[in-house]
Amino acid sequence: MDNREPLDPLFDALRGEMAKLDAPRGVEKELLQAFARQFPQKKRWYRSLALKRWALAGGLSTAVTALTVFSLVLHNPRLIADPDAGSRALVSRDGGGGLFIALESPERIESEPAPRVVETEVSRSSLAPLGIPLTPENAGDTVKAEMLLGADGQPLAVRLTSIN
Amino acid sequence: MNTTATTNDTDLLRAMRGASSANPADAFSALYRRHQGPLYRFALLRCGSDATAADVVQEAFMGLLTERFRFDPLRGPLQAFLFGVARNLILKLEEGRQRHVALPAIEAAQDGDDDAELDLPLDDGGPLARVLDNEAAEQVRRALAHLAPHYRDVVILYEMHELSYAEIADICQVDIGTVRSRLSRGRAALAKRLAGWRTAPDLAQA
Repeated sequence: MDNREPLDPLFDALRGEMAKLDAPRGVEKELLQAFARQFPQKKRWYRSLALKRWALAGGLSTAVTALTVFSLVLHNPRLIADPDAGSRALVSRDGGGGLFIALESPERIESEPAPRVVETEVSRSSLAPLGIPLTPENAGDTVKAEMLLGADGQPLAVRLTSIN
Repeated sequence: MNTTATTNDTDLLRAMRGASSANPADAFSALYRRHQGPLYRFALLRCGSDATAADVVQEAFMGLLTERFRFDPLRGPLQAFLFGVARNLILKLEEGRQRHVALPAIEAAQDGDDDAELDLPLDDGGPLARVLDNEAAEQVRRALAHLAPHYRDVVILYEMHELSYAEIADICQVDIGTVRSRLSRGRAALAKRLAGWRTAPDLAQA
């Protein structure tokens, strides 16, 4: 025997019918519009720039990049190895500037895409294998030199700029 | 933050205020979709007018949005809070109407927990206009509409939304004993009104 109260099946019927009902869709739309007014999205700084300004900035950026690349090409010329320079090859920069004594193979030096020159001082004793005269008196001296370095900092060649 | 169905109300509220969400509107929308149905159905049964119920839902969520109604998660779940807000909004609407139409029956109902039944149409379409297709459901809804508002609140929240006595007491701002007595009297009044209608087996075919 069903011992539920007489009202229960009636409430079941009401629950079933009411479950189909939701607030009209317009309510959510109104609320979302109110939400947008209440919490306006902050404009990112780059969104505030006009298209013309973006075009100007892009143009300037392209010009600066082109100038930088051009100047790098001028100041970091390609290296040319001289394989006929004896047991230790000599290399020169194709823009001139004198010869370097190769510390690496000509192929390794030629394959270096962006070599750079740094001024440094090296001990005279370390230059003895290159043929620099060494005496007990000057063994502790240093010699000014320019080192040609690869992109990874590896010495590729050296040029002595002052030997006393 | 992902505004999925698994995110709890407090996190959605926090996300809605921009604390942890890339899109706070999504959090608000998720919160609305989760609670609009029960709130609308409560308001519809409580005031009998779909237009008024929609207004109540909109105003409740608008209050949440603008913080006119401040929700404190330590005081209970958001759903109970929203029911309380909706109830207060409806009471305010009813007070406004009673200023214009002071019916003796209304005054009697306000005096206490008498088992007075009350027909309180909020607008011309009101509780007596047909809302539901199912005949049995429509009969119960009409019978509910004839209950005094303070009985109606308790019966709707208990029978339709399955809230506990304590939650109903919190929403209606009365003690638990009052909830029990109002529920008992409300059910008795409903049973009396619906007595001549159909028996339970008939309803299965309705």
